[in-house]
Amino acid sequence: MFSYSKTEATISDKLRSINYFLLFLICTIFFIGILALYSISDGNFSEWPIRHVQRFILGLIIFFIVALLDLKIIFRFAYLIFIASIVILMILPLVGDEINGAKRWISFAGFSLQPSEFVKYTLILALAKYFHSMEDYHDNFFSKLIIPGFIVIIPVTFVVIQPDLGTALVIFLGGVSVIWISGLNYKYFISGILGLVLSLPILWQYLKGYQKERVFTFFNPERDPLGNGYHITQSKIALGSGGIFGKGYMEGTQSHLNFLPEMQTDFIFTMFGEEFGFIGSIVLILLYMALIGISIRMALTSKSLFSKFLSLGVCSVFFIYVFVNIGMVTGILPVVGVPLPFISYGGSSMLAVMFGFGLLTNCYINYNTTLTKSSFI
Amino acid sequence: MSESNKFIFKKYDLDASISRRTAIITIAKAGLFTILASRLAYLQIVDKDKYKILSDNNRITHRLLEPQRGIIYDLQGKPLAVNREKYEVVIIREETSDYIKSIENLKKILPDVQIDTQKLYSEINKTKKFIPIKVLDDLSWDQFSMINANIHKVDGIYPQIGFKRYYTSGPSHSHIIGYTAPLDKKERDTNTLADLSSAKSGKLGIEKSKDFNLRGKLGNKNIEVNANGREIRELDRYESTRGENIQLTIDSELQDYCYKSLNGQSGCVAVTNIKTGEFYALVSSPSYDPNLFSKNISLEKWNSLTNNIYKPLINKSISSQYPPGSTIKPFVALAALENGVSEKREVYCNGKHEIKDTSLESGIKTFHCWKEEGHGKVNMNEALKVSCDVYFYQISREIGINKIAEVCKRFGFGQNVFESFYEEKKGIVPSKNWKLESIGTPWMVGETLSAGIGQGYFLTTSAQLSLALGQLINGGEKINPTIVLNKKKNAKKQQKISLNPEYLAIIKKGLEDATNTQGGTSYRSRISGNLKMAGKTGTSQVRVISSQEREEGLKKNNELPWDKRDHGLFIGYGPINNPQYAVSVIIEHGGSGSGAAAPVASKIFKYLFDNKLNLKSKSISNV
Repeated sequence: MFSYSKTEATISDKLRSINYFLLFLICTIFFIGILALYSISDGNFSEWPIRHVQRFILGLIIFFIVALLDLKIIFRFAYLIFIASIVILMILPLVGDEINGAKRWISFAGFSLQPSEFVKYTLILALAKYFHSMEDYHDNFFSKLIIPGFIVIIPVTFVVIQPDLGTALVIFLGGVSVIWISGLNYKYFISGILGLVLSLPILWQYLKGYQKERVFTFFNPERDPLGNGYHITQSKIALGSGGIFGKGYMEGTQSHLNFLPEMQTDFIFTMFGEEFGFIGSIVLILLYMALIGISIRMALTSKSLFSKFLSLGVCSVFFIYVFVNIGMVTGILPVVGVPLPFISYGGSSMLAVMFGFGLLTNCYINYNTTLTKSSFI
Repeated sequence: MSESNKFIFKKYDLDASISRRTAIITIAKAGLFTILASRLAYLQIVDKDKYKILSDNNRITHRLLEPQRGIIYDLQGKPLAVNREKYEVVIIREETSDYIKSIENLKKILPDVQIDTQKLYSEINKTKKFIPIKVLDDLSWDQFSMINANIHKVDGIYPQIGFKRYYTSGPSHSHIIGYTAPLDKKERDTNTLADLSSAKSGKLGIEKSKDFNLRGKLGNKNIEVNANGREIRELDRYESTRGENIQLTIDSELQDYCYKSLNGQSGCVAVTNIKTGEFYALVSSPSYDPNLFSKNISLEKWNSLTNNIYKPLINKSISSQYPPGSTIKPFVALAALENGVSEKREVYCNGKHEIKDTSLESGIKTFHCWKEEGHGKVNMNEALKVSCDVYFYQISREIGINKIAEVCKRFGFGQNVFESFYEEKKGIVPSKNWKLESIGTPWMVGETLSAGIGQGYFLTTSAQLSLALGQLINGGEKINPTIVLNKKKNAKKQQKISLNPEYLAIIKKGLEDATNTQGGTSYRSRISGNLKMAGKTGTSQVRVISSQEREEGLKKNNELPWDKRDHGLFIGYGPINNPQYAVSVIIEHGGSGSGAAAPVASKIFKYLFDNKLNLKSKSISNV
């Protein structure tokens, strides 16, 4: 069935087919991340920037491995990878490291990883394979909404109970975006969303006190200016006081004087915006838009449904990361703890995002590869 | 449609659907990015000024910089009040993991130092963790080096050097210089240093009266702080302005000498330059350690000072009022001369002067001369020389109280000597109006007689006496009494006090004879040699002697309890050929002017003639 002469390209062929403009944009944004972390460390390269570089290199290795793998192998093991990641999420409460009252991390060979970061992509893998393999006669409410719905809800539930609202949100929206692209009837789509909205009060019961507090605070930050609203208020002050041109590199007063919490992770955009102003913020947003735009274009060249769904899903997840993070620090979304890809200090998200772009690039290299429908798990 | 056709159509349809939906999602993403960009534009362009202010408020705060207090110098440029380094120990809570352990270790290093741990711990807990809190103050060098040597044992504890006011010249200067202490409640609203928690102000003496000049101006530094309020860096700095240095007219050596001359007796001395009004000494005895108030004074110590019958805390030279006694007689004599009494006028003294007093059973009130057997016939010169009371009863009665009061006021009695000495008292010059206003009853003749010999309602101070005498002896030049050196000599024309030189000559002669001719009241204290002093003794009663007591025989002063004895006073000037100085000496309950005060004045004049003729100020370099 497979014509090997066509698909069995050599490694060097594949390397030549990689979209290096995509890599260039990634490296540019990463470089901005290094600048920002260097500023936050007050000019100390050895604190955060050096580890950020190390992680990026590790991320690049993962990117190339994933990009150069045989797409068919990825397709074949898609469900397995997803199930494995769910299992890890399930056992996390037993083996995970508790940090700040949340069990999100798992120690593995000296690394501390956050499995939920990878679940964002394994879910996309699973959904892509599911919609790819769906028979036409299964084009109904049940197989197009209920089953994929469950595939999404399972990991989301496990991440919510960690508790990690932000990651759960990204996973959920990533999954929804793939269900949407798969061509789900508007009627079903809207009724699904409605059903979810109606079930929100039930979900609310399961939220921890501090998470409820964060949602409250989002709606009224001045309610508690030194508590939860503090983050949003200080972030707005820092960004706003940066003005059009910014306070200058390493001159951000709010961030350097520790007015901002978690600067090196979730609030790194604030510091960047304070130091580089509106112009810097817009340039960074444009870079992200360019990266996402190129990714979508790459995704649409794929011939197989699996590749399309997978690539577009990766684009959506990446977009959600960026939008939720910037929306959060500018005060239009609640503070839910989502990193800014390539810039925020954090190993798991770096590796996970590179894993995602590895999948995207793999699909792009193998745009012509056709895949059979498979019910194999 | 065949099955395969349907499949192809479906497939095509699905691809189109994916593209369409991807387009929709891409547009949505672009839209959401636009929202982000608009939000940023709103924060960073539209509202940037508002956030700029908020950001500055966030990070900029100011700290006050304490000015150094001005130095007080004496006439010769000797520093009397300086700011001295002191050794203290502070603790910074955040720099130790266990501050209680650090304090315990500190106690082990300095076992004989008291630390009120309870108070300290509560202060530590109330204060921000990066603010240093004083643990020990004013340590000795040994203690200080002990801590430095063991610094590794006391985490978060830092020995440091601060400043304290130090008075160099011992108890003789305590009253005149005063001391500083933390602001009191009232000053917290008015003092220009009030914003500074550690601010102090002068509480007495020059430290108080010149506090405004001495204190200087607060400096200010704007600093950048982080979210915890910790200082990150200094943005700008406005240095504090050092307080003005002040040079006194007090000659420290003379002040010391006068203090020693009092020899621990309760009393006071004032030495005045009769031409300039500069006070070269203003002494009160006994005194206290001037540095007592630089640290916390124990209640015990405080009680022993306030309960002491010799009142060491009071500056007697300006704050204690005494009846002038016979020292008022030169002024009464002047009043008599001005009112038609001739110097040749003779009065017969048989030891007493009687007036009608219907309130008494006998209908007669008797006023006694200090000399029971009387002086016989005395004229003015004689009366001044021997201090005949009967003579002054007689002439006072003739001229009336108001004339006496007018002359006394003219020369400075009844008014403050210095401009702004808060503790100064102005004394009383009694007159008919004064009595009506302050007591509410009319004046009585007998009271004129008492006033004529400086008793009764009359009250004055040592400083007032030397000023009044100075203005008399200098020929009626109004002088500007001061203890602060006036750098630019005031060019304004000196006012003249109305004084007939002929009358002055008569009075001077009387005073010279009182000291330098046999039989004079202060003859025993005369100074032999070219330079002589002249003066008038005074013995003022502090109790009423009943007639019964008189009949039983007057008790000698030394038979009475101390606080019932008469005050001894002396006012004098010298050298008599070219007077420079007026001196007043008051010995509280000293018994008599001639016995207690005149000898002290004599010693002081001798010292002045030997060491301090033509005193000049030495200029200080204003550091």
